[in-house]
Amino acid sequence: MNRHTFIVAILWVVLTILGEALVAISDLSPLAAAKEAAIVDGAFRVLMVLAVPVVAFVIATLAYSIIRFRIRGEPSQDGPPIRSHGRLIAVWFAVTSGLTVLMVIYPGIIGMNELADLSHEEPDMVVKVEGMRFAWRFTYPEQNVSTFKELVLPVDKHVRFDVTSRDVLHSFWVPAFRMKIDAVPGMVTTVHATPDKTGTFGDDTQLRLQCTELCGLGHSIMTVPVRVVEQSEFEAWVAQQTQTARR
Amino acid sequence: MAVLTALRPIGKGLAFAVVGFLIGAGAATLLTTITDRPATQPVITLGYLFALIGWVLGVGLWDNWAREWFGLPVKNTEAFGWPRYFRFTTDHKTIGVQYLVTFVVLFLLAGLLSVLMRLELMAPGQTIMGAKDFNTTMSLHGIIMIAVAVATFLGGFANFTIPLLIGAEDVAFPRINALSYWIVPPVAVLLILTPFFGGFDTGWTAYPPLAVVNATGGLLFVLAFLTFGVSSILGGLNFLATIIMLRAPGMTWGRLPIFVWSIFAAALISLTATQFVAYGLLMIILDRVVGTAFFDAARGGKPLLYEHIFWFYSHPAVYIMILPGFGVALEVLTHFSRKPLFAYKYVVGAILAIVALSFIVWAHHLYTSGMPSYLHLPFMITTEIISIPTGVIFLAGLGTIWLGRLWLTTPMLFALAFLFNFVIGGVTGIFLADVPTDINLQDNYFVVAHFHYTIMGGEIFALMAGIYYWFPKITGRMHSEALGKVHFWWMFIAYQVTFIPMFWAGIQGMNRRVADYTPELGGINLFISVASFLLAASFLVMVYNLVRAWVRGPKASDNPWRARTLEWQTSSPPPLENFTRPPVVVGHPYDYGVPGSVHSAAAPAGGAGDKETH
Repeated sequence: MNRHTFIVAILWVVLTILGEALVAISDLSPLAAAKEAAIVDGAFRVLMVLAVPVVAFVIATLAYSIIRFRIRGEPSQDGPPIRSHGRLIAVWFAVTSGLTVLMVIYPGIIGMNELADLSHEEPDMVVKVEGMRFAWRFTYPEQNVSTFKELVLPVDKHVRFDVTSRDVLHSFWVPAFRMKIDAVPGMVTTVHATPDKTGTFGDDTQLRLQCTELCGLGHSIMTVPVRVVEQSEFEAWVAQQTQTARR
Repeated sequence: MAVLTALRPIGKGLAFAVVGFLIGAGAATLLTTITDRPATQPVITLGYLFALIGWVLGVGLWDNWAREWFGLPVKNTEAFGWPRYFRFTTDHKTIGVQYLVTFVVLFLLAGLLSVLMRLELMAPGQTIMGAKDFNTTMSLHGIIMIAVAVATFLGGFANFTIPLLIGAEDVAFPRINALSYWIVPPVAVLLILTPFFGGFDTGWTAYPPLAVVNATGGLLFVLAFLTFGVSSILGGLNFLATIIMLRAPGMTWGRLPIFVWSIFAAALISLTATQFVAYGLLMIILDRVVGTAFFDAARGGKPLLYEHIFWFYSHPAVYIMILPGFGVALEVLTHFSRKPLFAYKYVVGAILAIVALSFIVWAHHLYTSGMPSYLHLPFMITTEIISIPTGVIFLAGLGTIWLGRLWLTTPMLFALAFLFNFVIGGVTGIFLADVPTDINLQDNYFVVAHFHYTIMGGEIFALMAGIYYWFPKITGRMHSEALGKVHFWWMFIAYQVTFIPMFWAGIQGMNRRVADYTPELGGINLFISVASFLLAASFLVMVYNLVRAWVRGPKASDNPWRARTLEWQTSSPPPLENFTRPPVVVGHPYDYGVPGSVHSAAAPAGGAGDKETH
C-alpha cells in the first residue's frame, strides 16, 4: 500500500466513524406513533448506517486528490497513463454488488416482511376513507359512524384503512404512522396502521392526515387532525357521534 | 432593415401559424357542431396542431425541404452572421447554439419561477400568491426544467460537439435536426400561455383524472409536452444514426470519447421510451377533447394505467438527462487530470447496462399507488441493481483523478462537484428504492431534495462544466476563468445550503407540491428560501461572464485546454465543414501520458507535453 492509499484509507475510516457517530447520536425522526412507524424508522436508520461509509469514501478520495494532486496553473506534464489497477475493478464490482445484495435483503426484504406480517394480521377495526377535493370522509362501518372532522382511532388496535377517491387522485398519509397509500377513483386501496401512542394534532402536527398526491387548488390544506385515544374514550366518541347523528 | 430581413423567416412562420390555426380551429368548430360537446378544447387542439404545422413550414421547412416533395427547386435560405440563428439552418453547430441559448434562457426563466415558489414558501400561510398561482408556478418550473435537462445535452451539446468529436461534417439528418429545433419554440409559447388559460395544477407528471378535468391551461401543457416529446424522438433518431454512420475513419467504437457513448445511450432511450409518454399524453388529450374514458373510472377507465405508461418513459428519461451528465463529467475529469479515463471499457458497459436497466425500474415510483404489492419486490431489486453500474462511473471518476495532474479550471471544478453531489443523490435514491422507507418518504421533500441532487447537483453541474469547457470552442472567445470560479464556489455552496435542509424538511413531514405547510416547518423553509435566493443570484455571475466574453472577450485559441479529442483540433469556432482536412483517427482519445501517442492523424495532436499546438 503506497502512501497516498494509506492516507486516504485513514481519512475514510475517520470520516466513517464521525459519520456513524453522528447517525448514532442524532435522532432525525419526528414523533412515531404506530408499530409500522418503528419498522420504517428502523429501515431508515439501517440505510443511514450503510450510506455513511459510501459517502465517506467518495469524499475522502475526492478531497485528498484535489488537495494532493492539484497543479498550480497549467500542468506542463501528463499524469501516469493508468487505465486499470490490478484487481481493483473486480474488487470494486464485488463490493458494490455485495452492498446491493445486502441492501435488498436488509432493510429491503426484511422490512417489507415485517410490514407485511403486521398487515396480514386480522384487523381489529376497519375505517373506510374517501378522499375528495378537498376533504376526507371517514366511515366506521362497525360503529356506524361517519365524519369529515377528524380521524379518531383507538390506541393499540390494528386498523385497516380502505381508501378510495371520489374525484381525482389523492394520497392518504399520516406522518406519525409513516404509512401512505394513494386514493384512486374506481379502486379501493388498503393501508394498515397500529397506533401505539395516544395523542392529538394539538400535541404534535405529525398526527395529521395529509394529502400527498397533488389534487389541485386545495391540495396543501387537505389535512385532517388525527386523534389516537384509549379504547374507552373511543367508545365515548362513537356514542357521542351516534347521538349527534340521531339528533 | 437588416433586422427585419433577418427575422423574415420567423415572421413567415408566425403568419403560416395563424393561417394554420384558423384552418384547424374552423375544422374543429364544424366538427363540434355535429356533436353536443363544448368546442373550446377541440378548437385549441386542432388549431394548435395546424398552427404547429404552419409554423414549421413557414419558418423554413417548406423552402428548404418540402418543396422538393412536389418537384420544386429547394430555396436555400442559409444566412451568415447572427441572422443564421433565426433560420431553418442545417449546420449542426448553429442548431447546437440555437438549442443552447434557448434552453439556457429557459433554465434562467424556470429558475426565476423557483424564486417565486420560494418566496411563497418563506413563511406559512399565504405570502405572495394563492394556491392556484403556486400550483401553476410549480408545475411550470417542473416541466421547463425537465425540458432543459433533456434538451441542453441531447439538443445543445450533442448537436454542437458530436459531429466534431467523431470527426464528421454534420449530423446524419441535418434537416430533421433543424425540424427538431424549430418545433421547440411552440412548446415554450404554449407553456408561457398556460397562466392565461387558468394555469395548470398537475405538476409535470400530469396524472389523470386531474389532468383531464383541470382548466384549459392543462390541455396547453399536455400539447406542449407531446410536442417536446416529438422533438426528443427526432433528436434521438438523429444522434443514433450520426454516431453509427458518420464516424471518421479509424474512430472505432472502442475509441469513441465517453461523451459520445453517453449521448448514444441517451439517444437510444430518447428514441424508444419517449413514444410511451407520447401515447399516454395522447390518451389524456383524447379524454379531454373527444370524451374517451381511458382514465375515467366511472366509465371503465383506469387512472393507475397512466402512471405506468408515464413512468415507463419518465424513469428511463432521467437517464436521458443524467447519462450525458456522466459523459461530460468524465470527459472533463480526464482532460483536466491529464490521465487516461480509468476503466474506459467498463464505463461503456456500465452506461449500456444502465440503459437496459432503466426500462425495468419504473414502478418504484408506484409503491404507494395501489398497484399490487407483489410487484414491490422485483422493482426494488432492479432499482437497487442500478447502484452497481453507477458505482462503475464513480470508480472511473475517482480512478481518473487519482495520481493525476489536476488542473482546477472552472469546468474541472464543476466536474469534481458533480461527483460529490451525485454520491449524495445516489445514496438518497436508495432510501426511495427501498420499499419500507419509501412508503413514508414518497411525495415528500426528501424526494424533492433527492432529485435535485441527481438532476441539478449531477446533471446541471455537469452542464455547467460543459458550458465552461466548450464555451471557447463554440464562441471563439475566452470567458474569464476568475469569474467562472466565483460562479462555481458561489453556486456550489449556495446549492448545498439550499438542498441539504430539504432532506430534513421531508423527514419532518413536509410533503411536496404544497403552497402551505404546518407552522413548525416555518423556520426551515425560511432558511431554504434565503439560501435558494443566493443560489439563484449565482447565475447572474455566469450570465455576466459569458455574455461579456461572447461580445468582447479575448479570442480563444484552438485548444485552450490542450485536450486531445477532435473538436479541439480545429479552429475556434470551427469552420462550416468542421475540419479543413478530414481527420483520420489512429489512437485512443485519452492516451495522456503515453509517449508518442496520437488520437488523430490529419489534425495536429495535443499529446504529452505538446505545447506548440496552440
